[in-house]
Amino acid sequence: MRDKVLHAPRELDPFLGELPPLDHALSRRVNADPESLERGLAQLVLTIVELLRQLMERQALRRIDTGGLSAEQEERLGQTFMELDRRMAELREEFGLTEEDLNLDLGPLGRLL
Amino acid sequence: MIELYAITDNPCPALPDLAPLTIVPVNGLAAVCMPAGEEDFSADAFWRHEEVVEALMADRDVLPVRYGTRLDDESAVARAVKERRDELAAALDHVRGAVELSVRAMPTETRRAGPPAAEVSSGAEYLRLRTGADASRDHAARALHEPLSGLARASVEGRPRPQELFRAAYLVERDAVESFAAAVARLQKANTGLSILCTGPWPPYSFAER
Repeated sequence: MRDKVLHAPRELDPFLGELPPLDHALSRRVNADPESLERGLAQLVLTIVELLRQLMERQALRRIDTGGLSAEQEERLGQTFMELDRRMAELREEFGLTEEDLNLDLGPLGRLL
Repeated sequence: MIELYAITDNPCPALPDLAPLTIVPVNGLAAVCMPAGEEDFSADAFWRHEEVVEALMADRDVLPVRYGTRLDDESAVARAVKERRDELAAALDHVRGAVELSVRAMPTETRRAGPPAAEVSSGAEYLRLRTGADASRDHAARALHEPLSGLARASVEGRPRPQELFRAAYLVERDAVESFAAAVARLQKANTGLSILCTGPWPPYSFAER
């Protein structure tokens, strides 16, 4: 693998640490054992919720950019998204999922998030 | 079952002898395949697949086939290639003489991409941090992508993973790989807040499907 590195940063570890094990990626194709079912279902549901959360947040940021909101409305929106972000992090932790787990590879369409 | 490795020109140089590969010829193209064993998909098998595709890439132009692509038999392969013959030939022309290089960048101080919600007090501040994070991400990505895409025949920007700022694949002429790597090294010097990793040459997976 080393001979594939054309330019390495001083710190290579962050890149390696973030790589999910390949076996994990391959075994995710089919994983129907009952114990992992709950986690799998949570993963799917949270993926959809996270997608919606990101879409709404982006929409809100765009509205703020175009200046259509009062300071009070901005504050309320911000509070809401902050709270959602926090809750998502808690739920992820509860089911032992990482941010990357809430992403789906849609093949030719790219990745969901 | 038979497993596909790559689409190449036909006629082509002798096949590498690291595996019992066979060729299914289809009107100027060749599908390089090998009978698939009973074994399941695994990391080891993935790397064996990659080894074969890279050995092919060493002395010919290839349109790499994604690991795990299996068909019933040689005639099924011939049918599948025939159906998309012109499309595949055009894709092979597109990558001819070039290889894929991958570039990824992360911030040197690793922190979460978004603001840490716990440390932010007001909603307005949260949104400001969010917008700021998006803007600096875009800025960093442009600073890398603009100069690098100028050195490539084609490029595909990927969606960065949570900790990353930037991820892209570049289709680079074989004899321009060194100068591309040198350009990455210059960008690294100019952007001390980023860790940039450039790998390759890879088979042009990101440019095989269009």
